[in-house]
Amino acid sequence: MLEKDDANEAMAERPLECGECKRSIAIIYTEIIGDVETNTCMCADCPEVQRRLYGTAAQLHIANQINPVITGANAQLVCGNCSTTLEDVKRGHRLGCAECYVVFEDILPLEMHAVHSLPNQLYPYKKGLPMHIGRTPGEMQTINIFSQILALDEVLKEMLSKENYEQAAILRDQIKNLTKNSSSASKSES
Amino acid sequence: MSNLNTTGHSFLCPQGLWTNNNNTIWLGSTITLYRNLDKFVFSDKLTTDKRKQIIALLSPALLTHEQLNEVRILPAEELSPLEKEFLVEHFLSHQSFHQAHSGEAFIIDKSCTFLAVFNLHDHLILQLIDAKEELENSYENLLKIENKINQSANFAFSSKFGFLTSDVTQCGTGLVVNVFLHLPMLRYSNTLNQVLAKNMADGITQTGLQGNPQDIIGDIVAFHNSYTIGTTEENIFTNLRTLATHLVIEENSLRQQMQQSTETASAEIKDRVSRAYAILVHSYKLESVEALQALSLLKLGLDMNWLKGATQADLNKLLFFSRRAHLLCHHGQHIEHDKLPHRRAEFIHQALKGLELLI
Repeated sequence: MLEKDDANEAMAERPLECGECKRSIAIIYTEIIGDVETNTCMCADCPEVQRRLYGTAAQLHIANQINPVITGANAQLVCGNCSTTLEDVKRGHRLGCAECYVVFEDILPLEMHAVHSLPNQLYPYKKGLPMHIGRTPGEMQTINIFSQILALDEVLKEMLSKENYEQAAILRDQIKNLTKNSSSASKSES
Repeated sequence: MSNLNTTGHSFLCPQGLWTNNNNTIWLGSTITLYRNLDKFVFSDKLTTDKRKQIIALLSPALLTHEQLNEVRILPAEELSPLEKEFLVEHFLSHQSFHQAHSGEAFIIDKSCTFLAVFNLHDHLILQLIDAKEELENSYENLLKIENKINQSANFAFSSKFGFLTSDVTQCGTGLVVNVFLHLPMLRYSNTLNQVLAKNMADGITQTGLQGNPQDIIGDIVAFHNSYTIGTTEENIFTNLRTLATHLVIEENSLRQQMQQSTETASAEIKDRVSRAYAILVHSYKLESVEALQALSLLKLGLDMNWLKGATQADLNKLLFFSRRAHLLCHHGQHIEHDKLPHRRAEFIHQALKGLELLI
């Protein structure tokens, strides 16, 4: 619910300053949740109104516009190798080459977060924090059999707590088989 | 779409993966790796000549790999739209293979469990289908293939962003794992969301079989890892395996409860199964979504011993072969668009000839 305040008399009893920056108010935002009604007074270009209307994504957008490191300096950023522009990246287009990851290094975590492809522990992203924690090229990797056993064991515990013994027995057999296989494999290796 | 005889579809394997799949609930999984070479810009920005150069550079390692049998390369320009659609269906892909054109190519092996795609946005996509609930083994096999390629070409990699991909949401491990589960009882008892809310770890996304991710067709629910960065490969597999195990167990428990329940409690689901049977055996025309939905119920009915005269493998085969491209390729002749539903119904009648309803 958004109302433009014409500074009429009816509003005289309301606060005359923006709750955020103490400038004179232009917007009164009324939010009704259940029986509770809250009024927030804001100035004309208050970031708060964006947040209320469009959620946190708007806050991110504003932060991008305010933060000169991200927008001011990078506004004209173009990858020299493949001509992908910052605008392309912001619009969610695909990157053009490996070099793009260097050129748009700062903006990429924000873009990933915006499309929910960044785990919570990596946001807000702090410089220097390792993002990739998986395998490196050429590395041979075996997924430890214990991670499989762990997964089955977790379900087994729940089945036991629910007294679902039939399913628990099936799981226990699966775990036994895996343990047997892994021990026979390690014996044959040695 | 001319020349639709079966022999023309050299990659169509009559004894392939989905024709002898006995799985009841966990139908299969796909493991996909996205890779690019470090000295080239990504495929969308490459000229056709350069794309062909990439194929020439990467394909020898695959064509001579000892782990892969009778590998064949299929240049996209030589494939008909129908054949591309067949690949999408067979490999349970969400990719736009349909749009593949000159400079793009596919490699498949005899078993039709392995697929390599060249230049579809990324230089190389490697995929393996697993139908034995052996996710981890399949991943190791896929890595052996990937490592062999890495010996002759360097992958684009950075210590911060991991393996670099054209889509930023796939960088890092560049690994996407999909598991496909058949969960009719969880769906019909309206408990699926409840079980998911309790067991779905952060980092897993739910989708459907194909097309719109929100549409669950044939009660097949798919799950894949939402993050490829900030997580390890091991974590991706553990999370998905834990969820899949939970769901398989819950689905099995519900099926057992249903089997032991009273006549009135099971009446509704029995009614659904018998109606599905009637639709499949007696329809004159069948659309693919309707067919898949009914086949799903037959799979459930068979597992509950309410039907006899078919195996899970027979029904799984029908589940895959009732879809458009599979049906057309199987028929090996041109079928008018408006005659397809009738031909599908005929195909299913024939396949379910010996099936008997026991309830």
